[in-house]
Amino acid sequence: MNLKELYQEIILEHGKNPRNLRKTEGFNKDAKGNNPLCGDNVHVYLKLNGQKIVEDASFEGSGCAISMASASIMTDLIKGKNEHEAKEIVEDFLGMIKENPELKSEYLSKDEKTKLMCLSGVKQYPMRVKCATLSWHTMVSAFDEKKEEVKTEN
Amino acid sequence: MNIDQIKKEFPIFDEKIQNNDLVYLDSANSSQKPKIVVDRINEFYTKQFSNVGRSVHYLAVAATNLYENTRSSVQKYINAKDKNEIVFTKGATEALNLVANTLGQSYLQEGDEVLITELEHHSNYVPWHFLRKSKNIKINFAEINEEGEITLEEIEKKITPKTKLISITHLSNVTGAILPVKEITQLAHSKGIIVVVDGCQGAPHLKLDMQDLECDFYAISCHKMYGPTGLGVLYGKKKWLEELPPYQGGGGMINEVKKDKISYGELPNKYEAGTMATAQVIAFDQSIKFLESIGIENVMKHEADLVEYGQELLQKNNSVKLIGNPKNKGGVLSFTIEGVHPHDIATILDEDGVAIRAGHHCCQILHDKLNIPASARASVGIYNTKEDLDQLNQSINNCKKIFNL
Repeated sequence: MNLKELYQEIILEHGKNPRNLRKTEGFNKDAKGNNPLCGDNVHVYLKLNGQKIVEDASFEGSGCAISMASASIMTDLIKGKNEHEAKEIVEDFLGMIKENPELKSEYLSKDEKTKLMCLSGVKQYPMRVKCATLSWHTMVSAFDEKKEEVKTEN
Repeated sequence: MNIDQIKKEFPIFDEKIQNNDLVYLDSANSSQKPKIVVDRINEFYTKQFSNVGRSVHYLAVAATNLYENTRSSVQKYINAKDKNEIVFTKGATEALNLVANTLGQSYLQEGDEVLITELEHHSNYVPWHFLRKSKNIKINFAEINEEGEITLEEIEKKITPKTKLISITHLSNVTGAILPVKEITQLAHSKGIIVVVDGCQGAPHLKLDMQDLECDFYAISCHKMYGPTGLGVLYGKKKWLEELPPYQGGGGMINEVKKDKISYGELPNKYEAGTMATAQVIAFDQSIKFLESIGIENVMKHEADLVEYGQELLQKNNSVKLIGNPKNKGGVLSFTIEGVHPHDIATILDEDGVAIRAGHHCCQILHDKLNIPASARASVGIYNTKEDLDQLNQSINNCKKIFNL
C-alpha cells in the first residue's frame, strides 16, 4: 500500500480543478451514474459530430479526489476519438485499473497513457476501484443511450 | 474502571492491521467482540449444539433453556415488564420492518400519518415508505435544528390530528443527538399516538428502561452491543404483540395447521418463525454479562468523556468541521474537511490503522438537509481511549498534508 502512489500530484490537481466540469452545450448523448454506497454521482455529456467523433465531453457531479480526477482525465482524452476508439480505451482503462500492469490501446498516445497511469495506484485499494471507474462506465452508457442509471459494481 | 484491562478482553486488538495497531473508531457501524462472546459461539457449536424448541432429546432441551435464558437476560437488561415482550429478529432492520409491516396490516389506514425525523437511518424510513406505497399513508419529517437535534417542541409542532405513529431514533448515528424519547412518548401517548424507537445507537451506549421510557416498540441491534451479527431484538408492549398479526409464516410460529385453517402460536413464538440465530442468541447473553460487568453508568461516563475530548480536539483543528453540536450527545463525531472528500479521508486514515466510516451512513435525508454528499464519522466504544482520538487527530493532519492544506 502506498498513499503517495494513490494520491499523486496530478490526481490531486485534477481533483481540485477538474477539467470539463460543466454541461456541454448541444450535447447529444448523456448518462447518469451513481455509487449508492457512498453517494458519489456523475452525469456525463457527449457531443458527437456528423462523423461520430467526440467533439466535446463534459461531466457534472461530486465525489472524492479519485473519482473527480478520473472523470476529468477521461473527458479530456476522449475528445477527438470515435465511439469504437473510445470504447476500446474504456476497456483498456478498466483492465489496467483492475489487473493489467500497463495500457495497450493503440488509440492512446504515449502522453495520454502516462496521464492515465497516474490512476494505477487505485489497484491496491479494491474499495476505491469503483470511484475511479464510475465515470467510465457512465460514458459507455451514454454511447449506448441506456436510460437507466449506472450503478458501480465492485 | 480500567480501559486497558477492558481492551484486553477484545482479541482483535492483539492483531496488527496492515502492520498497525488498530484504532477502531467505527463502533456506531458495528462494535468489536469480546472473547467471551466469541468463545461462547465456539463452545455452543462444539459441545452443545442442537436446534431449539423442537425435539425432546437432551441437547435440544438444554439448547432451548440457554436460548430462553438470553430472553430473560434481555428482559432484565432493558427492564421490560414481561419476558414475552422480547422478540429475537435477524437485526434491528428486521425488527423495524416487523413493526411497520404488522401495523400496516392491521392498524394503520389510508390517510394516516407517520411522523419520523430527518435524523432517521434508512431502516427507520424505508419500511414506512413501503406503507406509503401500499396503504397510502403519509410520512412527515420532524426537522433538525442548527445543532443537529430534534426537540420535543419540533415533534409537537409536526403532530397533526391524523398522526397515528411516531418513529424516532434514540441516538443519531450522525450528529450524535440523544432524543428526549421519554418526553416525546408522554406527549404522543396523551394524544393516542404509538411510539416506535430505533434503538440501534441507544442500546449499546445508554441506560435502557422500557418501563420508564414507556415507548410501544424499541428495536435493538445486537452486533453494535458487543454481540454477534445476524441478531436483533424487538421489544414490544405485550398488548401490541398480542394484538398484531404475525410477520412471517413457518415452523415454530404456529399452533395448529389444518387444510382449511391455521392458528398461530403464543408469544414470543408467534414472531419467531423458522430456525432462529440460535448460537448468536446464546452468545448474546455473554454480551449482556460483559456490559453488566462494567456497568452502563460507567460506559456512559467513559464515552461522554471521550466524545468531549474528541470534540475539543477536532474543534481546534482548523479545516475540520464537526456536524452537529447537540447538548445531549452520544459517542459520535461526524465531520468534514474543507477540500478533502470523506472517502479520501477514510482511505488516508486507514493507512495509519485508524478505522472510521465515510459516506452518508444510511442517512441520505440528513445529508441532503446539510447539503453535503457525505461525511466522515469517528464513533467510540468502551475500548477506546483518548490516545485513539489523538491518533485520529494526527492522521487527519497527515490527510491535510497530503492534500496540501
